[in-house]
Amino acid sequence: MFKNHIKIAWRSLKMDKMFSVLNILGLSIGLTIAILLFSFITFEKSYDTQYKNNKDIYRVLVNTTGDAFDKEIMATAPAAVAPALKSELPTVKHAARMLQHSFGETAFIKANNSNFLEKRLFWCDQELFSIFETEFVKGNAASALSRPNTVVLSVSAAKKYFGEQDPMGKTIKVDDKTELEVTGVYVDYAKNSTIDANLIASFNTTYFYKEPSWGNSSFETYVQLKENTSKSSLKNQIQQIIDKNIDKEGQWYTLSLQPLDQVHLYSKDYTNSYTSRPGNISEIKNLSFLALLILLIACVNYMNLMTARSQKRAKDVGINKTLGASSKNLIARFYAETGLLTLIALCIGVLLSVAIIPVFNTLTDGNLEFSFLLKPDFILGMFLVWLITTLVAGSYPAFYLSGFSPSSILKPANRMVGNSVIRKALVVLQFTASVVLIVGVLVVYQQLEFMKNKDLGYTPQNVVAVSTAAIKTYNNKHALAEEVKRVSSVLEVGLAQGFPGMEVSGRTIHKNDQDENGKGIQTNVSDASVLDVLQLKLLAGKKLPNLKQEGDTLVDVVLNKKAIDYLGYTPEEAIGKKVDMQLGDGATIIGVVDDFNFESLHKPVGAYAFHNNNYEPKSYLLVRFNSVSVTNTMQQLEAAYAKVSPDSSFDYTFLDKNMEQLYAQDRKIAKVGLLFCLLAIFVACLGLFGLAAFTAEQRKKEIGVRKVLGASVLGITQMLSADFLKLVIVSLLVAFPVAYILMQKWLQEFAYRIDIGWLVFFIAGMCAVIIALITVSFQAIKAATANPIKSLRTE
Amino acid sequence: MLLELNNIYKWVQSGGQKIFLLKDINLKVEEGEFISIMGPSGSGKSTLLNIIGMLDVFNEGEYNFLDEPVHSLKEKHRSNLYKQYIGFVFQAYHLLDELTVYENLEMPLLYKKYSSSERKALVADMLDKFNIVGKQNLFPSQLSGGQQQLVGIARALISSPKLILADEPTGNLNSKQGEEIMEIFKELNKDGVTIVQVTHSEKNATYGSRTINLLDGRKI
Repeated sequence: MFKNHIKIAWRSLKMDKMFSVLNILGLSIGLTIAILLFSFITFEKSYDTQYKNNKDIYRVLVNTTGDAFDKEIMATAPAAVAPALKSELPTVKHAARMLQHSFGETAFIKANNSNFLEKRLFWCDQELFSIFETEFVKGNAASALSRPNTVVLSVSAAKKYFGEQDPMGKTIKVDDKTELEVTGVYVDYAKNSTIDANLIASFNTTYFYKEPSWGNSSFETYVQLKENTSKSSLKNQIQQIIDKNIDKEGQWYTLSLQPLDQVHLYSKDYTNSYTSRPGNISEIKNLSFLALLILLIACVNYMNLMTARSQKRAKDVGINKTLGASSKNLIARFYAETGLLTLIALCIGVLLSVAIIPVFNTLTDGNLEFSFLLKPDFILGMFLVWLITTLVAGSYPAFYLSGFSPSSILKPANRMVGNSVIRKALVVLQFTASVVLIVGVLVVYQQLEFMKNKDLGYTPQNVVAVSTAAIKTYNNKHALAEEVKRVSSVLEVGLAQGFPGMEVSGRTIHKNDQDENGKGIQTNVSDASVLDVLQLKLLAGKKLPNLKQEGDTLVDVVLNKKAIDYLGYTPEEAIGKKVDMQLGDGATIIGVVDDFNFESLHKPVGAYAFHNNNYEPKSYLLVRFNSVSVTNTMQQLEAAYAKVSPDSSFDYTFLDKNMEQLYAQDRKIAKVGLLFCLLAIFVACLGLFGLAAFTAEQRKKEIGVRKVLGASVLGITQMLSADFLKLVIVSLLVAFPVAYILMQKWLQEFAYRIDIGWLVFFIAGMCAVIIALITVSFQAIKAATANPIKSLRTE
Repeated sequence: MLLELNNIYKWVQSGGQKIFLLKDINLKVEEGEFISIMGPSGSGKSTLLNIIGMLDVFNEGEYNFLDEPVHSLKEKHRSNLYKQYIGFVFQAYHLLDELTVYENLEMPLLYKKYSSSERKALVADMLDKFNIVGKQNLFPSQLSGGQQQLVGIARALISSPKLILADEPTGNLNSKQGEEIMEIFKELNKDGVTIVQVTHSEKNATYGSRTINLLDGRKI
């Protein structure tokens, strides 16, 4: 019997080629998306599960409690935490600290007489290898980093720095000052590992090893607990350790433990994490929702197309019933057909996914690999997808058609099949989803465009920040500045700690002694000319003096408007006032600049200060150039750099590019959204096409009669199309408010956002109407031009 | 006695009015009879045939088939009854388009859970009997109307029913093909199969042993 079902299913697929193609196409697309997202989600969830002890590994989080900062959770802990936990808590088996080079800066590496830039150099305790087991190709995990000034390389880093040579025992020089001996080579960390170091140098080389403080919270700290230890039992003990080491007043944080399986996906709101592969659970949720939506649209599409053939199906059902088929037989038969079709679609889907994986990876910055498709989990998952799709998509034809009574079906006149309300509702559902997606994509693009064009209060275009971290002396940095000024296309040059778009030092500004809480402020050590480089608008006062006398404890400060608003001054009043902002007693306001967006437009403008206290080094040379020949300018800058600092590589960032980087996530959403939107519309069109074909078939006789009575082709085409336009318009009415609400919610994530105008809805509506018309008119014209004699002849 | 209809009424509601399709039909059919039902369009011929075939229900009256009271049987029981004893032949043949001649014949046996070897034997018998062995692998669309109806009859006969119900079996055929089909019915009847046919043709009606005339749902 089963064989027979499959045979009939296969033959009817072959008999009605157009419908089969439409059906399989629709399902394949839905399934392709489902497969891709399913693999993406499985991959994201597989993070860090490869480590044997993953259940016992935790990351130490710092929860700030002080009032100065907004409440914040940091993924990095002070250097003193790891040793204290290890020595005082018997349940802590291992503890290790990781410091990204210079708190997250690029490292300049000289190896084998060549210069390299390295973004993934970490300074770590050797115990890291006990917590996250790391396979060593050369050297060994237990001793490689015991001595100071040692480093281990990943296999790919070893190849990059030393080619085919054996790196063991060789030295590399970091930032032109620290020499490290290579004592090991390890297999690269997997792509689904939060730990993503290329080079790991011994932590005991650093100053922080000898003087671990309880203050500077910059060290990503992992602990491995003894098996079966619950982290909740440790809470009080950890607090006791803090109490012992920091007096009550000085405590500005508490510590907590984050299980390793949450590190990847649930750390979006934690600051300072060093990994270059942050995950985001809400992204996964959104994508799952979209994937399910598309799969649902595809299933609905299948049902629609199946019922479009229900006239013929109904006859078959009737015949089979008179031949003795039970409803059960028929349900089994329709499911067999759906199952077969879904299986074909699934195979096509898998092939398509394999083809699309590279594109998908670029869209989502993902790391999916083909080998993933062979994992047992994935195969089981695909089986489930197949089963669920078959059950959902097959339900309507199976139960709807098999329920017909044989006598009514065998009489052609009675063959008025159709719960047309359900079918129409299905099409409305499809179109609603598509229109919501269209509106969504339009709004996302408008917002991106808005952010690109918004006046930020400074000009990031044509400014490049050249890293000067590898240049040791202050004089050499100035020498570089002088050298760069000589380049003809360079307009302005200034040294600074950082630039808008990157984090600089967070401090707290206070109104007066009574103001205990204060307000967080970003502070940036900079030259006078930086204001000109950035083209900031000076509201009052003057720029910073360029040179500061040796031993001068006075600090000059230029604040932005937000900061003086907080202090309660007008720009003019503020000049000459002393200000308490953790820059010493002598900090004086000498200038006020207008507000500018130094962070992404997700956040409102905060307080910002340029100052000339030398607490922090000036790590960047900001250069404004004219845009005539960027390549040429960059070559000259590189030459100037090489002259001053021949032993390190030239590293630079364009400020506008860097700003765009802040919206990478948003652009990703836009791109994925656009892809989904196109597919959803395509599938919805298939559904509409099916319904149009169905209606044309059902109204064949009516159309015939009308033609005999003198209706024109145009008239009939219009009549048929108008019916569908009504459905599309209903979809629009449903979709608009839904889309508006959803997109308003999305826009809430931006401090600076567009208003959703009527134009968006107009364009989305027109798109839907035009696409629907094209789809439907094809069938309508076909029906209208058919010869009425054929349709009026009875069986 | 094969079946017996007593005071059968069937009606439909239309605009608050009862429209009678069948009124007070009484009919006894003995095994081995060949009955023709005649009457103008809309007189209720097909409705009566469907009721006999248990494909349709009636509103009033009694129907006994082999001493089983059909009117009080449950749906499932009723369908078992017609599956076992009744074969249908249609004006439009109603073969399954996706199946070959062989497979069309096999279909009823599949639903009745015959074993594979039994099916083979029975289908081979039928193909032989109707002289269509050479056509067994063709699809219905590759056959002429007469040939299709031949397959239709073979299919109706394959599980050896006691009763064949034929709704205008020659309606879509030319006169020569029609005659051949009627000859086959005659032969079958001789072999002991009871036949009830609906027909418009006086000539075809004469093949039967008895004719029932209907007008406006009444027997006359």
